[in-house]
Amino acid sequence: MKCESCNKRHATVHLTEISGNEKREQHLCDECAHNLNNQLIKMPSPTDILANLINQVAPEIGEMSKTACPACGMSYLEFRSSGRLGCPMDYTAFKKGIVPLLEKMHGASEHIGKVPSRAGKELVVKNEVLQLRKELDKAVEKEDYEKAAKIRDRIFELSGSDDVKGTLRQDG
Amino acid sequence: MLRELYDKTGDWLRGTGPEADIVISTRIRLARNLANFPFLSRANTEQKREIERLIREKIKHAKDTKDLHYIRLSDISTVDRLFLMERRLISREHAGGDGERGVAFGRSETVSVMVNEEDHLRIQVIRSGFELRDAWKIIDEIDNILERELKYAFSPAFGYLTACPTNVGTGMRASVMVHLPALGLTHHIEKVFNAVGKLGLIVRGLYGEGTQVLGDLYQISNQFTLGKSETEIIEIMESVVPRITSYERMAREVLISENREQLEDRVWRSYGMLKEARVLSSEEAMHLLSQVRLGVTVGLIKDVTAETLNALFILTLPAHLQKLEGKELEATQRNVLRASFVRRRLGNTN
Ligand SMILES: [Zn+2]
Ligand SMILES: [Zn+2]
Repeated sequence: MKCESCNKRHATVHLTEISGNEKREQHLCDECAHNLNNQLIKMPSPTDILANLINQVAPEIGEMSKTACPACGMSYLEFRSSGRLGCPMDYTAFKKGIVPLLEKMHGASEHIGKVPSRAGKELVVKNEVLQLRKELDKAVEKEDYEKAAKIRDRIFELSGSDDVKGTLRQDG
Repeated sequence: MLRELYDKTGDWLRGTGPEADIVISTRIRLARNLANFPFLSRANTEQKREIERLIREKIKHAKDTKDLHYIRLSDISTVDRLFLMERRLISREHAGGDGERGVAFGRSETVSVMVNEEDHLRIQVIRSGFELRDAWKIIDEIDNILERELKYAFSPAFGYLTACPTNVGTGMRASVMVHLPALGLTHHIEKVFNAVGKLGLIVRGLYGEGTQVLGDLYQISNQFTLGKSETEIIEIMESVVPRITSYERMAREVLISENREQLEDRVWRSYGMLKEARVLSSEEAMHLLSQVRLGVTVGLIKDVTAETLNALFILTLPAHLQKLEGKELEATQRNVLRASFVRRRLGNTN
């Protein structure tokens, strides 16, 4: 088969292009195929295409595209195309874009679980209370009221804060 | 140290612990990063070196980790790195990565700490059998000790901050390695995949790509790391994994009661091949080992232990064979060596 473009050399590259319902086949020689590739390189870069696409799908992410992390210089778009963050600060810098992303990924956007002890006692307690609340819901769901009462007592004990005591006093 | 590793296998290959007929091992890993450095994809050579040095020094001084053996991966050969990977002490990415990076691990190979993998720190604990609570207890303690020495990147809202947002929150990936030959033979494995996926867990073949999973070995792990506490993640695994193992056991019983002759033929034929073959590819060895392991766990074959077979899965991998021979070998040479190694291990002196 002769090359469709130059009609001289033997066609060695066979391309199939599908647009809509139409299928178009192209048979080219090495050299013409190479030239075609060079034309492709002049097309918009993947980052541009991505930026365009994101702008169409989710305008607020488009707005995020101007954001960059002040600490490491990583831009939000760079992050979206590589999937990797540049530094711990990015979670704060890209918060607006990252929260919906985390929701999609994990079905949640807030941490529950271990807290480094140096993060402060207050946070450690807050997290334990969050976990206990979940357990309380589960116990109630299972109608295990004995367990639920124990968990509730533990929550009060931990919170030990004024607002809880206050409520209790009002109740009493 | 690597020589010493070669002469034995990790404790997690013992074949002991709950559900050990199906659950070969349990692993938990935690991803941690230092607060004052960029993540590795953004760190320059100098910063990587600094991170590695800082963490290495802390590991060497902290109680509980100071007895770990530390290896800088840039100091060892490619085969040695692959050897550590086959041993599951480091990940494939860590073995193939570049820049200053290392691993610390204990003599029993229960604990390993990767430095400068995708995150600054990847702590890992592996136990034999289904031992999530036990693994969590060990890793939680190591994490507490390192945390006293290193300032972790942590945010109250997002938890432990990681280079990839798929790990953020607890930074915890709990996984079990399960051997499911009967579910494979009875074509029920797809059902397990579908059911498990809906419960927030991921299943993937341990070795090989595509439909044919080598050795019927699968890794089941938690998909989500954010919004669930470490205990909750463990609870989910604890409720799902026993259902899979009992399903596998059921499939084994069905095979025995309804297809006993075929099953016997299959496992004994595989055993015969392992004991007599002169050339064994890695794929074939995995496949045959899996069949024989099935034969042992259902009580058809009694003259070899599950522990021996567990070890053979690892010891017959390419880098292990090259360490055995003390030099680099072509695949065809490895296949001959693999066959003779397996014959000897199974007590055939011919
Ligand atoms: Zn042409
Ligand atoms: Zn940053």
